[in-house]
Amino acid sequence: MSDALPTVERIAPREGSAGARALRGIARRPVAAAGILGVIVILGASIFAPLLAPYDPAMQDLSRSLLPPIWDGGSADHILGTDPLGRDVASRLLFGARNSLVISVSAMLLGSLLGLTTGMFAGFYGGRLDSLLMRVGDIQLAFPFILLAIAILGTLADRNAIDLILVLGIPGWIVYARVVRSRVLAEKEKEYVMAAKAVGATSLRRLRRYVLPSVWQVVPVIALLDVGFLIMMESTLSFLGLGLQPPASSWGLMLAEGRKNMMISPWLSVLPGLAIMATVLSINLVADGLADVIDPRLRKGSFRRRLLRTQASAEGAGGDRPSLLAVRDLSVEFPLSDRVVQVVRDVSFEIRRGETLGIVGESGSGKSVTALSIIQLLDSPGRVTAGQILFDGRDLARIPDHEMAALRGRRIGMIFQNPASSLNPVLSIGYQMAEAMRRLKRVPVKRIESECRDALRSVGIGDPDRVLGQYPFQLSGGMNQRVMIAMAMTAQPDLLIADEPTTALDVTTQAQILEQLHEITTEQDTSLILITHDIALVAEHADTIVVMYAGQVCESGPASRVVSDPRHPYTRALLESVPRAELEAGVRLKAIPGELPDPAALPVGCPFAPRCPSVMDVCTEVNPPPFRVGSRHSAACHLWAPEMRKEVVS
Amino acid sequence: MVLVVFAVVTIVFFVLRLTTGDPARLMNPPGTPEDIITQTRERIGTDKPVLAQYGEYLWNMVRGDMGTSFRGDTPVREAVLNAVPNTLSLAGITVVIGAALALLLGGVAAWRPNSLLDRGVLAYVALAQATPAFWLAVILVLVFSLRLRWFQAIDLTGPKSFVLPVTALVVTLSPVLIRTVRQSLIETMGEDFIRAARARRISERRLFLVHGLKIAALPLITLIGLQLGFLLAGAVVVEAIFNWPGIGKLILDALASRDFPMIQGGVLVAAVVFVVLNLLVDQVYGLLDPRIRVHAR
Repeated sequence: MSDALPTVERIAPREGSAGARALRGIARRPVAAAGILGVIVILGASIFAPLLAPYDPAMQDLSRSLLPPIWDGGSADHILGTDPLGRDVASRLLFGARNSLVISVSAMLLGSLLGLTTGMFAGFYGGRLDSLLMRVGDIQLAFPFILLAIAILGTLADRNAIDLILVLGIPGWIVYARVVRSRVLAEKEKEYVMAAKAVGATSLRRLRRYVLPSVWQVVPVIALLDVGFLIMMESTLSFLGLGLQPPASSWGLMLAEGRKNMMISPWLSVLPGLAIMATVLSINLVADGLADVIDPRLRKGSFRRRLLRTQASAEGAGGDRPSLLAVRDLSVEFPLSDRVVQVVRDVSFEIRRGETLGIVGESGSGKSVTALSIIQLLDSPGRVTAGQILFDGRDLARIPDHEMAALRGRRIGMIFQNPASSLNPVLSIGYQMAEAMRRLKRVPVKRIESECRDALRSVGIGDPDRVLGQYPFQLSGGMNQRVMIAMAMTAQPDLLIADEPTTALDVTTQAQILEQLHEITTEQDTSLILITHDIALVAEHADTIVVMYAGQVCESGPASRVVSDPRHPYTRALLESVPRAELEAGVRLKAIPGELPDPAALPVGCPFAPRCPSVMDVCTEVNPPPFRVGSRHSAACHLWAPEMRKEVVS
Repeated sequence: MVLVVFAVVTIVFFVLRLTTGDPARLMNPPGTPEDIITQTRERIGTDKPVLAQYGEYLWNMVRGDMGTSFRGDTPVREAVLNAVPNTLSLAGITVVIGAALALLLGGVAAWRPNSLLDRGVLAYVALAQATPAFWLAVILVLVFSLRLRWFQAIDLTGPKSFVLPVTALVVTLSPVLIRTVRQSLIETMGEDFIRAARARRISERRLFLVHGLKIAALPLITLIGLQLGFLLAGAVVVEAIFNWPGIGKLILDALASRDFPMIQGGVLVAAVVFVVLNLLVDQVYGLLDPRIRVHAR
């Protein structure tokens, strides 16, 4: 899509430090907030375990063995009951949390430190060191390292916490190293690092000043997830008897012991598992929340067309004109998190049966959004907020979804700018065409193949059989666009919308495709809306031209009139920027100075005023409505206001 | 790939000999006379220098001989080959069910992001991700075999024996798969070609089930390849709990008795299985993705 919306990043306000923003962001998410609470509780439990625990976790009392927890008939002396040796389960769980956290956090620190350093050096110095390190990482990732860890720990005669930290921590390096390395590589390419290099900043300073800050953004999330994973691994190893050794408290060990008494006291197995689950869940929730805050892209709304049901659609329903499509005062807006962006404002035009209408404008002028609102395929959260889209007497902005679905494809077809990405890359052309045939025309199965072949021939493809068996990536852009046209034309729609159909193609192919479009639409008496940034193109192919700027129509009229006698300064500027054969050699092409205004912050008055060569005082105060300048020809410019015209004439 | 297997074998070989005490001493009860220990040492071959042992080990490996267990006279190759199918069937069924579940739940979640269903699936994902496989296995045994007596708790006795271990493994494998399918489906549904197909009146359901899922299934396959290591590790634990006669249990038992040839054999086979499965995953990916399939021709 050429009319890309301004990205959220550009608009979103940035204030406060990264950490503060992250915290505020997480606090706003109840799930993540619950995770934080959980983490705080577990941290507290493990830090204050000696104070909180009612008993020494290793104190045995065989007279009190296997007491049930309090809700299962136990006493308040041992809230969570006791194990076979009479040790207090609650105390053991608390100390288990402590051990588990100490081991996993230390292992994480070890792994991350190792990974951060190696990643930094690999990324920064590159070359042989880099390829060696990454190769080692690949090999490590290519093998289930956990098995090796098990083998190593299993053979150690006398394990302690340090061994566990080493075996669990070291393999984690590669995850950090890869992330850091890619960040360093990306950062290295950036100009400001280049500039710093030029003024002689030392390598290490560069690392610290420029790379670390960007790395700090991602590492916390990875580290949190890593801790959760390590807690799981630590308890798994203990459970298998490969972790901490018996007198110590460990959730995995408790579970292994509990398992032996599963029948008599099932809680011994259940409780440590719940402790692990709660811990890992809390940590993961915080990590998710953090990732969400750092990268909000993933929180997309669902695709839903929003119907506008405010005004009755009766008012302009019929009319006496034989127009196929009449767009009246169409406004489209995109509500963002903190503001609403008006992308299209009060756009009106109409197109008659068999006619070709060209919509011209720069990227961001709202032309594609206009087209997408006709066929009701606006990206969420975009919505039509005002105006009518009268197609054959019905207002497309207000008809129910199922009625629109019946029109879409059958009576209104559309082809898009980038033919390569407009076809599903993993389905063959034949499959996609057959699918379209069945949906649009209800072609019986046995005739589908021949119909597909005919359709491809009709857009000038000489060897349809070969093309049908191929995938989009095997075809040229021009071929893909022909396929798109063939599919769009299967149902012989009344209206075809072509959004920059040739922009992605080379010049010779462009001409062929346009010729093809012209031919096939004329043949089938289909009206064509041709959207482009190239005014020369519509001058040649369209009957009527609509020039759009900053979401508004600035001039519209019969193509010959608009091209030969442009009334809006913007149209003039557009025409002057196009190379033309009739121009004498030596006449310089003019570029339009300035750039499109930000749709989120449009100037008061005429949006073109800041770039307009004929700007007047009134232009910066009042946004001009369209003024009639000839038969079916209008321009939204104060130069053509009735009171101004008198002055110009006089 | 051969390099990976070789590296693993070598590492395990030396780690075993550097970290462990004398296996000959461990194999005899404490207080055994020195000459008997020396005899044991000669029998199992640990009296020779480590490098000589390594050379012999590699040479035998090339000839297809994986040695003989320190305990008894079981040839390692036989023991290992008996165990492999049990682990493979466990892992295979897990992958198939896990992938199906991921496509189903990931699809359900992505159909209407942020809907109640989506939240439900995400809640399951979060919970399952935090559930330790071994604990789940223990709880499953507790509830379904000890309390309800629906399934036998341990041993491989027939198709019914698969239910509990596979459930435990699927629950641990599924969260990451579901997440990936969901994410990739949501992304795919925002692609240009989906909009273009909408303009051709292709139904939402069809777009989702054919156009979307076919693309979303591709990262799933890659991911399964990446998760195989964790799956094998999970299998070790689950095998230990269910007394499943697979590679994991073989390695654990061998570790407990310091049975070097058996440990080496088990790890070697695990590495080979892992490598082969990864190659297989690549092949499947190539078959499903025409972009690779066509270029490979």
